[in-house]
Amino acid sequence: MQKRAMQGNSLLKGRLRASAWGRFVFFFGVIVLSFVFGACSKFQPGIGYNKNYQPDQPIPFDHSVHAGQYQIKCQYCHNQVERSKHSNIPALSTCMNCHIQVKTDSPFIAKIREAYEKNTSIEWVRVHMLPDHVQFNHSAHVQKGVSCNTCHGAVDTMKTVYQFTDLSMGWCINCHRQPENKAPLNCTTCHQ
Amino acid sequence: MSENHQDHDHNHDHDHSPEIEAQKREILSKRPKPTAGRDERYWNSLEQWGKDPEFQKLAEQEFLTSPLQEEDKADGWARREFLKLMGASLALGSAGCLRRPVQKIVPYAKQPEEITLGQALNYSSTWFDGSETFGLLVKTREGRPIKYEGHPQHAFSRGALSARAQAHLLSCYDPDRLQAPQHNLQKEGRANAETVSVTWGQLDEKVRAAVANGGVTLLTGQVASPTLRQMIKDFQTETRAQHIVWEPTNPESIALGQEASYGTKLVPSYRFDRAQVIVSVDADFLGTWLTPTAFNKQFAEGRRNVEGMSELVVFDSHYSLTGANADKRFKIKPSQQLTVVMGLLYEVVVKAGHSSFAANTEFKEALSAFENAGALLGFSDPKALEKVAQSLLKAKGQSLVVAGGTATQNQDALLLQVAVNALNSALGNDGYTVVYGQSQVALTGSHQALHQLVDDMMAGKVKTLLIHSVNPVYYLGDWFATALTKVETVIYTGSHMDETAIKADFVAPDHHSVETWGDSEALTGIYAIQQPTIQPMYDTRSILLGLSQWGKISSALGKAESDYEMVRIYWKDRLLSSLGFKGSFEDFWLDLLQKGSVGALKNERESVRTARVEKLYGAKPNKQEGFELLLYPTVQLGQGELSNIGWLQELPDPITKIVWDNYASISIATAEKLGLAEGDKVEVGMNDLRIKVPVHIQPGLHDDVVAMALGYGRTRAGRIGNGVGFNAYNLMTHTQGGCYFSGQSLSMKSAKEKYTLANVQGHHTMEGRAIVIEATLQEYLKDKSAGIHKHKIFSIWPHHRYDGHKWAMSVDLNVCTGCSACVVACQSENNIPIVGKKYVLQGREMHWIRIDRYYTGNPSEAETVFQPVMCQHCDNAPCETVCPVLATVHSNEGLNEMVYNRCVGTRYCVNNCPYKVRRYNWFNYRKTLEKSEALALNPEVTVRTRGVMEKCTFCVQRIKTAKDTAKQEGRALKDGEVKTACQQTCPTEAIVFGDVNDPKSRVAQLFKEDPRSYSLLEEFHAAPAVRYMTKIRNNSERVINAPHHQHHEEAKKGDHA
Repeated sequence: MQKRAMQGNSLLKGRLRASAWGRFVFFFGVIVLSFVFGACSKFQPGIGYNKNYQPDQPIPFDHSVHAGQYQIKCQYCHNQVERSKHSNIPALSTCMNCHIQVKTDSPFIAKIREAYEKNTSIEWVRVHMLPDHVQFNHSAHVQKGVSCNTCHGAVDTMKTVYQFTDLSMGWCINCHRQPENKAPLNCTTCHQ
Repeated sequence: MSENHQDHDHNHDHDHSPEIEAQKREILSKRPKPTAGRDERYWNSLEQWGKDPEFQKLAEQEFLTSPLQEEDKADGWARREFLKLMGASLALGSAGCLRRPVQKIVPYAKQPEEITLGQALNYSSTWFDGSETFGLLVKTREGRPIKYEGHPQHAFSRGALSARAQAHLLSCYDPDRLQAPQHNLQKEGRANAETVSVTWGQLDEKVRAAVANGGVTLLTGQVASPTLRQMIKDFQTETRAQHIVWEPTNPESIALGQEASYGTKLVPSYRFDRAQVIVSVDADFLGTWLTPTAFNKQFAEGRRNVEGMSELVVFDSHYSLTGANADKRFKIKPSQQLTVVMGLLYEVVVKAGHSSFAANTEFKEALSAFENAGALLGFSDPKALEKVAQSLLKAKGQSLVVAGGTATQNQDALLLQVAVNALNSALGNDGYTVVYGQSQVALTGSHQALHQLVDDMMAGKVKTLLIHSVNPVYYLGDWFATALTKVETVIYTGSHMDETAIKADFVAPDHHSVETWGDSEALTGIYAIQQPTIQPMYDTRSILLGLSQWGKISSALGKAESDYEMVRIYWKDRLLSSLGFKGSFEDFWLDLLQKGSVGALKNERESVRTARVEKLYGAKPNKQEGFELLLYPTVQLGQGELSNIGWLQELPDPITKIVWDNYASISIATAEKLGLAEGDKVEVGMNDLRIKVPVHIQPGLHDDVVAMALGYGRTRAGRIGNGVGFNAYNLMTHTQGGCYFSGQSLSMKSAKEKYTLANVQGHHTMEGRAIVIEATLQEYLKDKSAGIHKHKIFSIWPHHRYDGHKWAMSVDLNVCTGCSACVVACQSENNIPIVGKKYVLQGREMHWIRIDRYYTGNPSEAETVFQPVMCQHCDNAPCETVCPVLATVHSNEGLNEMVYNRCVGTRYCVNNCPYKVRRYNWFNYRKTLEKSEALALNPEVTVRTRGVMEKCTFCVQRIKTAKDTAKQEGRALKDGEVKTACQQTCPTEAIVFGDVNDPKSRVAQLFKEDPRSYSLLEEFHAAPAVRYMTKIRNNSERVINAPHHQHHEEAKKGDHA
């Protein structure tokens, strides 16, 4: 599999190198694009990626307290991660399991309680986002024994969650290619 | 490509003398294009059959239009038209420069127990299409239904769905749906179209007052829901209202025929699986007659075992889907239907002296008028009827004769049914293939009652008229609309502001069937439950609540506060005991919700009833001359209720393959006589009516028949259905006691106008190479792989290695009836857009699976073969090698994968695909979706954008879901666990999908052991993962695969009638 993909790469390069005109367009394009991308991005390590993206959340939920200090397991809140492709953001009812008693005087908890009672919700800002044409399956990876930290970093030390890896295709493939992982490398594994 | 590919499969068994070679060269040089390697016995269209040079040119072009010819400015009109059809575009959110779009995640406040994000939930449910009942599994994602699947446990529909059932889901998200109750101000001295929104409270108050005044009539379509039927009964007791059931294509003549023959008025159920010989006289039981999906399933069961396959003989006035699947098809005209059945009765009763009728001299005398029926019918073989009668007699007790449908709705309709009953009784079929003990309880529509109602309305006897789920103004036009003006208050419940709604005083929008509780009774004793799967989209209300409110019903049913309570009360009080369930109702209810249905088919043989035949004593052969009208409902639109669903408008008609239009079908000889070409307009005159309609030249049609499809020409269907085609209901004749759809004389002359019909057959043609393989049963019994030409193949390719799964599909052409349910199922599953007529004309339709319809034989008697073609997932895929960006690649499970985000749209792949299965996104079709329509999209499948190629993926998302489930449960994948969308819905189970690396899988066994299995264009050695199985015709008079290839001559012999 690895060999095939390599061949594919060199094939692609071969075509681009084929003509002088192609080479000119290619390099000119790269210069223009990197200028445009560079000017617009504040923190992207690569073009279009969002490593270290750390948006403000409506409630400053502190993972380092919950997962770090109190050692609450990830799956207590993200309880569907083992059986679904998505790792769910917990329903407010999950927060209220504890916060009906714990730290009830906090204004943020009050906000949650209010939303819970009114049956509305909290609009969290999405941190990890894959492009539309990528399908990622959490349960398959968790089942395989991939630790949450591998992709999400040491969330138990994060006060505010940020994107730990660049979540680029190269980064995914890098893991899938390791022979010991026996992971599939078909395009439709992620793109369908 | 065609030029390079030489005729290696035909040359070798010919004589190679120099003389003949010279002759051959001469013949070849005179032809418009080389036809070497082509199998001319099979053709897609008359243009292809006649080797029209224009057609040859088109066939060799990959794209009917090039993007360079697309004059965007000059094309502005078409573009606007396109947008009008599809709805206004969504504004594209500007994503900024590179700032990622901020997405919000909004979790539930209280986690619903059953919902796991990203996992589909299936709810058992049911849907009644006005004639047929389906058991459904409604697939939902995060609280919105995205797909209908057939429910395998439903005793009648058994996992199959029709094209219309598949598409019905989309009507829930139709942006043209009624969104709140309306009050029409026509009686307040305002213009007709002015309506205002009212609250349910205001509407109920007015309607209650009107109902209390008396003189109430309730007009509904056929009702399959027992709870609703009970509610209507309670409403009638409370208000002394009259209840009229009417739909235009109701099978009243069958019920009346049963009454005349046997004394009981009912529509029996039929068992096509039990019949060894089936004779159909214009009953299109595989297309539109009664319950076609269940009949398809039964029919296929009688033919799957080839050695013992049943024989189907069809006498066809119109080229119906049933006729297309016939082993023997005879073209007749509507006025000859009775002659056919009486002729058969003559052969059975008089000539063969069979049955108790043989002692009835009066009857025999009447039959003797039909002694030379074969000659009267003008069949080329005067002994044809005798031969059919002999097969029927040979299979007596196990044969079936059916007649019906709109094609038989004429003055002889009742006599025809009585004659058919007599024949079934004489042959001893009654009680075995005609099951009267289990009848079609919902089909109670009556033309007589409708006429009575209109008379009452005109006489002012009807003060308040409630109309539910039927659109009489569209079907009946001014005749009904005038009568409506004499009614004080008209209340309409339905889904759209349609032709009838706009003439009603109050419009009470009804829930969609996925929004409300309900139930259905398919046949006597087979009940199913309908569960809601989404919160009502708009301010609508169930008809059950409407009736209980308006009638102030005091029964327990009427007092219940919700549709849920009502259905439960009915099942608890009325059904529980009769179903013989012991245990608590709650246990029963939970079990019911899981299984979806209760009841089974009755399998014991009933006694044969003796038919009365007095009515037939005076019958004489009808020798009507001249053109005869025939109106028929279509597979795609039915009566026309679902016209606003684009999927159905763009679904090719199974026979003509024309989309977005209806037309008058005429025979080739008639077209030549009147000097008409395809698409020319004719002026059709009937009584005082003159309409101009385009013609379609239909091979295999009787020269006197002018056939037109119902269901088109809607004026208030919505933005998609409005103004598509013409309203053929205008040609329906209302006489006292009947609505006639066929047999009326009409005049026809050329209107000297041109029109363009969008016919998809001719697009994506595989240039006439040997594709479909047929054999007769006799040939099959001699050589099980008759007709299949094996090639010696060597390969320069290294073979792929498939260590795990290797996905493959088998399609049995012998049971595929061309019903087209798979096409819509695929569209629903894979988010496939519609493109509109203008772009279909340019060959840009997007269906991933198409059903090729091939005609064969003499065009005036053409027979048909259907062949579904989807991506063949070749091992040596020609598309893969030419993609410059590696956007289409091979997986280690044998899938030919399409990677949308890599595709740059060079379209090399489609040029290199010999099967013509790749589809290109010429526009960003997503932008044409209304917001509500986007809810129907399957989140598992990427929505493609402009400029990328797409094609069948073997439902890779379903493969992955099944694999993930198996992995989670720590077991191996079982055979049959992965079902593609087309396979799941297929009524005839023609499609089998699975893993050929698993030697026990069904598909592996079919590939390896079934001698009928062949692959398309095997000589190219693309090594497809799809294999087909030969079509077998049970017709001993035909020779399909002669020992030597003589078909070039055969094809030439066929002349124009």
